[in-house]
Amino acid sequence: MEGEPFDRRLSRADMLRLAALAAGAGVVAGPTAAADAAVTHLTKESGQLKVMDWVGYVNDLPHHATYAAYLKKYPHNKPQFTHMASEADALGKFHAGAHPDLFRPYVGWVKYFAKSGLVQPWNPKLIKNFEHLNPFMVKAGQYKGKQYGIPDDWGFDAILYRKDKVHPKARSWGLLFDERYKGKIAWFDDITMIVAAGLYLKAKNPWNQTSAELDRTVNFLKKKIKLTKLLWAYESDLWQAFRGGDVWIAYAWPNDWVTMKKKFPVVYMRPREKPIAWVGMFMLLKGTPRPHLAHAYVDAWSSKKSGKWLEDNYGYGHANTQARPSSSQLLRALQLTNPKAVTLPNAYLDRDIPQRPLYAHLWEQVKASG
Amino acid sequence: MGAGEGVGLTLDTTAGRAAPPARRRRRLRRGLATPALLGLPFSWLLLFFVVPIAIVGAYSVDVFVLFPGPHHFTFTPWRAFFSNGDYFPLFVKSIEMSLSVSAVVVALAYPLAYYLALSGTRRKYILLLILVVPFITSYLLRVLAWKVILGSQGVINSFLFWTGWRAEGHPLSFLLYSRFAVMLVLAYVWLPFVALPIFVTLESIDRRLLEAASDLYASRLQAFLRITLPLSLPGVVAAFLFVFIPTVGEFVTPSLVGGTSGYMYGNQIVDLFQTGFPDWETGAVLSLFLLAVILTLTLVFVRFLRAGETRTA
Repeated sequence: MEGEPFDRRLSRADMLRLAALAAGAGVVAGPTAAADAAVTHLTKESGQLKVMDWVGYVNDLPHHATYAAYLKKYPHNKPQFTHMASEADALGKFHAGAHPDLFRPYVGWVKYFAKSGLVQPWNPKLIKNFEHLNPFMVKAGQYKGKQYGIPDDWGFDAILYRKDKVHPKARSWGLLFDERYKGKIAWFDDITMIVAAGLYLKAKNPWNQTSAELDRTVNFLKKKIKLTKLLWAYESDLWQAFRGGDVWIAYAWPNDWVTMKKKFPVVYMRPREKPIAWVGMFMLLKGTPRPHLAHAYVDAWSSKKSGKWLEDNYGYGHANTQARPSSSQLLRALQLTNPKAVTLPNAYLDRDIPQRPLYAHLWEQVKASG
Repeated sequence: MGAGEGVGLTLDTTAGRAAPPARRRRRLRRGLATPALLGLPFSWLLLFFVVPIAIVGAYSVDVFVLFPGPHHFTFTPWRAFFSNGDYFPLFVKSIEMSLSVSAVVVALAYPLAYYLALSGTRRKYILLLILVVPFITSYLLRVLAWKVILGSQGVINSFLFWTGWRAEGHPLSFLLYSRFAVMLVLAYVWLPFVALPIFVTLESIDRRLLEAASDLYASRLQAFLRITLPLSLPGVVAAFLFVFIPTVGEFVTPSLVGGTSGYMYGNQIVDLFQTGFPDWETGAVLSLFLLAVILTLTLVFVRFLRAGETRTA
């Protein structure tokens, strides 16, 4: 059946064996053991697990702590990583023939990928930690009632600034467009800038602006881009510029605040127009030959232990509601005790951009005018 | 009697008779030598240049598309490119930057190459080696090192603060994340590549011409302007192209030190392929346009060079 996970890979004999195993194990040890037995059986999948992930995660070797449980369970099947520089980069690579088992786009792309036919839904029953994941984020990973995205890391897009140098007139996205700080501002090199500018300019729906609104937003950005020193695509670029004193104000993520506050007095400002919340979503490629290894990997990522590690080391939130960071500052900044931290009235959860190709095209024009 | 004459005699004596098998084999080998020698580079060129360009061309007219679905041959991406008002200014900006870098680098490299080639110093090859030594390290490292030098708290600004020429907290901000930074780093990176072809050309100049000029009471400046410079022009033009062609499509250096104002046409091409939403059609159009312009400019340069050679002759 279209959309059902793994059915393509299971022969009738496999299904019968699986049913017998699950039933037998279920009688003996209850439903959890049944799921374990099923996974154990089905993890006789061949080949190395292939994960396409963000450059920042892949290059940061200690990040294997986030899937330590997977490594413990499958010590001889370490994941093989490939890079994705952005969701658009991943999309281009899929169409050019790349076929990892899973990858991690962010919540705004869930609908696009689910509709594209490139991915298949997960089976939450095979993810033991699924029940501890934030229900709002879980819902954001669904499309037509199916779980296409398993939430993992999350955070906010907001504004980071040095309080010894910058004196905002208001708690607003407007600080990114403040003429007083010409040459000291860094924007994020992404179409989300059109959304942030749309929020600032009070577009009715910044994710789906009308032609007139888009004209106004893009012209505004073209005018204001002259104020920026840098458009950062990688956090390391932002950190270098911030550390070097070249930038004082930046469109930033919580991790940037955690990193920069070690050196400067910085404020991570939540604009009154509301920050944009994002959630990383593991997605399973359609027709993957290793669906159960992929589930095991995502299950490891979803654990409380992994969540705490991620929060402590990256300053991001984690979808596991039981995970708590060591830092009380981070706990407060991310509102980790608030299950609705990523939704209204606290923040706008990033979402599908129906006119994404147009937004991307316009963003390229904004950059070209810089 | 020279070797050639000997061969000529042998040929004469065998005229009108069937060539012996050994000679036929030799002729056959000679006949096959050229295609065999050129075959590999031509195949390489065909496989790794012509075919990829053709594929890019197919993307630019929607014969190939990234996303599955109905598609047909169309010039729409080309029309969109020419009607868009944002790509041309960026292209012109990149050309300007690249031309400036090429001109400055050639101007800097020429005296250096001149000294090495014509000063008669016995250490010229050691000096050449020193010139090339930085290239033992990675390109990325060398570019990143400039960030340490040019940043607001970098070597130059720290020196200016220390000397009191700039007030603390008021660094020269144009040094990094700017068009200037891109041009400076590109000039640094390409300087040795420019010096080498000029050096080779200068070194191959027949010194007797300079002696003759001296005998005819030409001043050193006259000898330089009438002999050395015209004869070294092929090397200068080659060196210029060595810099201009790669820098006009450059994207690594601008993305590392360029910031917003150092954004170049090459960055736009990369972004069209992988940022926001993949737009391979427009990316292909921009790439082919760049290729066409570079080919045209190269042909113009070569033509100019030939005209110069004819005049010199």
